[in-house]
Amino acid sequence: MAPIVYYAFTLLFFFAAYSVLGWGLNLQFGEAGILNFAYIGFVAIGAYITGVTSSGPPPAGSGESYVLGASLPFPLGLLAGGVASCLLAVLVAFIAFRRLRSDYLAMVLISISLVMYDVINNYVPLFDGADGLNSVPMPLSGTFNLDANGFLIFFALLSVGIGAVMWLVMSRITRSPLGRTLRAIRDDPDVVSALGKNVFRYQLTAMLIGAFYAGIGGGLIVEFASSFNTSAWLPAETFIIFAALIIGGLGNNLGVMMGAFVVPVLFTQLPKFIPDIPGHPGLILNLEGAVIGLLLIVTMWFRPQGIIPERPRRPDRFLAAQAPPAPPGGIDADAAEGPPPAPAGATDAETTG
Amino acid sequence: MSAAAMTTPTTTAAVLSGHDLHKAFGGNHAVNGADLAISEGSITALIGPNGAGKSTVVNLFSGLLPPDSGQVRLVGADVTGWPSHRIARRGLIRTFQLSRELQGLTVLENLLVTPIDQLGESLVNIFLRPGAVRRQERANVERATEVLHDYGLYHVRGNWARQLSGGQKRLLELARAVMARPKVLLLDEPMAGVNPALVDQIGEHILRLKSDGITVLMIEHNLGVVERICDHVIVMSEGRTLATGRMSELRGNSEVVRAYLGGVLDARLDS
Repeated sequence: MAPIVYYAFTLLFFFAAYSVLGWGLNLQFGEAGILNFAYIGFVAIGAYITGVTSSGPPPAGSGESYVLGASLPFPLGLLAGGVASCLLAVLVAFIAFRRLRSDYLAMVLISISLVMYDVINNYVPLFDGADGLNSVPMPLSGTFNLDANGFLIFFALLSVGIGAVMWLVMSRITRSPLGRTLRAIRDDPDVVSALGKNVFRYQLTAMLIGAFYAGIGGGLIVEFASSFNTSAWLPAETFIIFAALIIGGLGNNLGVMMGAFVVPVLFTQLPKFIPDIPGHPGLILNLEGAVIGLLLIVTMWFRPQGIIPERPRRPDRFLAAQAPPAPPGGIDADAAEGPPPAPAGATDAETTG
Repeated sequence: MSAAAMTTPTTTAAVLSGHDLHKAFGGNHAVNGADLAISEGSITALIGPNGAGKSTVVNLFSGLLPPDSGQVRLVGADVTGWPSHRIARRGLIRTFQLSRELQGLTVLENLLVTPIDQLGESLVNIFLRPGAVRRQERANVERATEVLHDYGLYHVRGNWARQLSGGQKRLLELARAVMARPKVLLLDEPMAGVNPALVDQIGEHILRLKSDGITVLMIEHNLGVVERICDHVIVMSEGRTLATGRMSELRGNSEVVRAYLGGVLDARLDS
């Protein structure tokens, strides 16, 4: 097959993986209002744990050094990555969520991310330090007798399938009363607490679900690339995911997908396949951060709600099929059955929950 | 403060009470030994000049702030220092001085977020009991729809709450509190900044709440409204309870009027 086909499937993979990552962060930030600047740390833990549990013990004499070489079959290693990320979320939540306002919480989370980075980068026995993991087996390639190129296409399609399932799960969560309560906490945690809801419990739930998505997304990346090291989760990576959410549309799962397509795929991965400008090797890649930053600024100016903005939910949709309820108080003279008016500024974009 | 001016609040049938409450912010003693008792089924006004500690008392009652010392009792239990969500689950719901609508939710969703322990707030139920979740959600939507009709907000049910006018936001805050089916409702200046017609409308709503058996404690500066709808009045000054009684009694309390309301009370009631 022509190389462009492999490029396309590589981009398809990153689209699926970053959509998963985006949905996780969107639940935490876009829905629950948790400004999780440590998100990339959760992605990294998912990637490392998936990597080491899928690999066997480090070969003697290879110079590699890591823990938990368990040779788990697919998808157990991937799930282990998601669960490990959840365990980290519990730890972080108990450190950071008690009595911290969101701005301070963000600073604590940045600090946690930097501490994690330093520990993993410098404590070599854990995940082989800065060298990282370099020989993570390609899942199911033996089962289906796939070479590297065949695996690339296979795993990209598999990731799209996994992403589709995670989309359905996330859509159901965000459309549910749980999603509504998370959005209420995002708007005003004091009000929600005054209504009898334990805000910490809901924030912990959002952290756990989001962390699971981060772990799975990280696990997919390490299994696709067969390698992972600290250069893959520098603080700029968190910026990429946040930029994807804001540009695509916070609080809208479809907007997150749009953001994953525009930022990580179009502006981060695609430039890697664009030939260098003659006389200026590497210029295109070096401009990546600046271009994304510019895109972010333009979005904030002209479409702050994102390309596909959050849409009002319609939990009373079923009433449209029923007889209109009699107004008990009779005060609302304007009341008329039928769909409620669309808020100003709403577009015709599909409501995704 | 003389002993004569201070009417010791009775604790008989008090559904909500605070005893010797203290709360300081740095060197500022916002609440400094306040004693209050709210009778079950009544509408009680909490009045006093700015800085008297009224909103802080409401915050102490509702658990938004813990008292430095003193005791808060709600429906027979000592709830001192409880977090606000536990106090709310015991039946005390509050509104805020400045409208705090949940801006990123629709008007209808502002009410739907209110019922506690919704089946659909549990991940397990969302995926394993979707039918039960849907049935409960429908019941909640139907009740929320009724409340929105009552409060004249039905026609804007699908709007973002942030798009409402100031008066509509006041109504929404009240409707949201009612949706929670409270035993005790604390209203922090429910009529602040609304037009006279809406003041009357909100007053009617509060009287209906009383007839439904809900105990109401409201901070209010509109003394005409206080006299019209409130059974009892508690006067606060400098963090303390100065007097309690009916508005008509307080009008005759020269110490309250002179030392505390500076004659404004008389003037406003006579107008």
